Amino acid sequence: MATENIPPMRNIRHLRPQKEWKEIIAIYLYLAGMGAGSFFIGTLISWLGVKLDPPFLSSLHLFGYTLNLSKVPIFWGPIMVAIGAPFLILDLGIKWRFMYACLNPRTSWVARGFIILSIFIVLGLVLLIKSVLPFGWLHSESTLWRIPEVIALVFALGTALYTGILLKATKSVPLWNTHLLPILFLVSALSTGSMSIILSTLGTGVFSHDAGALKVLMGAEQVLVVIEGIVLYLFLSRRYRAAEQGKDSVRLLLFGEMKMIFWGGVVFLGFIFPVVLEYIASFFPGNFVLIFAAGIFLLCGGFFLRVGILHAGIKDQIPMHRLMEIQYNMMAGRKVNPRITVHESQSH
Amino acid sequence: MDQKVLVVDQQKCTGCRLCELVCSVFHTGTSNPSRARLKIVKWEDVGLYLPMACNHCEKAYCVEVCPTKACHREPESNNRVTIDKNLCIGCRTCIIACPFGHPFFDIQERVTVKCDYCDGDPQCVRFCDIKAISFLDVDKTNVAKKREAALKLRASINPSR
Repeated sequence: MATENIPPMRNIRHLRPQKEWKEIIAIYLYLAGMGAGSFFIGTLISWLGVKLDPPFLSSLHLFGYTLNLSKVPIFWGPIMVAIGAPFLILDLGIKWRFMYACLNPRTSWVARGFIILSIFIVLGLVLLIKSVLPFGWLHSESTLWRIPEVIALVFALGTALYTGILLKATKSVPLWNTHLLPILFLVSALSTGSMSIILSTLGTGVFSHDAGALKVLMGAEQVLVVIEGIVLYLFLSRRYRAAEQGKDSVRLLLFGEMKMIFWGGVVFLGFIFPVVLEYIASFFPGNFVLIFAAGIFLLCGGFFLRVGILHAGIKDQIPMHRLMEIQYNMMAGRKVNPRITVHESQSH
Repeated sequence: MDQKVLVVDQQKCTGCRLCELVCSVFHTGTSNPSRARLKIVKWEDVGLYLPMACNHCEKAYCVEVCPTKACHREPESNNRVTIDKNLCIGCRTCIIACPFGHPFFDIQERVTVKCDYCDGDPQCVRFCDIKAISFLDVDKTNVAKKREAALKLRASINPSR
């Protein structure tokens, strides 16, 4: 008589990651990170006085004014964050109540995040608009603008770090409960941000000649990708050893349901393809299609990194569950054993 | 005032889910177990049932992560942790933070809900026929276990009795 095999309780196909935060939160984390990283790198470029080639449209005539678009590619990060922030509100049960969180900034990281993002978006957009508007009374080259720029830079760094801190603050998921997660998201934000700047200046002829500034930016971006890879490795290896559920999360990410997202989305799209394509592109200085493809792949990789880490979050096990697990395995063992006995008696 | 807590004896639970039913009726007016404030986790193949009720932890993660203080402690009502439905924004951070998987998202009301001891008269305790859930004073929670251990000790010392 055949007895049905009982799957063990801790089986990779039966791991239960959290289902509360899904793609909407991943989009929010991604856009907030990329936008903040882009603004951070862009401000540094601006401070260093590097002259990038202008985008497709260097100026725009509107209502009799000439808008200066030359700095838009390096300051467009706040627009991304402003697009991403509503995704967090979209995920709320009652959308209009997000104001309650803004009014209680000292309560938790979700509330602090609202404040950090709001300040960054407002300051960033002010700086973006300042760089675009042609009015003389704005004194756009004045050193006084350095003050809001420094504040915006700090909040850009805060926004990039916050995306990781938000997950870290929910302490019961071992995969997220580490200082390496905000660092990983920060490095990923900087690499995707610098790539978004490179992409936004593509097609302007910068690769047809020896554009030094862009080469430095490309080099920095490649270094950031390598650092991101190292941090990701450290993150996964540390979490694998941290707790049983951390181990389960890493197994789920590497070999379980999320393996396509991890290997296909994060490793190949996010790391291997961009590095290989950029290496090939270095032999074809005039061909920016390869750089464009590498950029798109890298940006997709950044998104899949957030999706993977969100979906692989498995909660810590409470002692009661552990007790039930032991009981389950004992009872499952009791059920399986008679089958073996029957099988042996039949063979005799 | 003596503080009382819910005590679950998972050995007694038969998985009938009557507690879920009465909980949803009391809190929502509908007999819909998916809207109950406690859940029975079942392993039917081996006959294990685990009623998961809120533990109202002393160091409650749900209170720590709530962005609006909707999730708060009420020392005057059995020191319970409860969620103010009028303040909850439905961000579900508390659900992720709770290691016991307790607060639940009510799809109809679009907010997070949790056990509030039914304002001092838990319906799950009232309707559980086999008394798998009881509402006891804090200092009496371990009495049953102590009694069992004492009986075992007596049996081992004096097997004839």
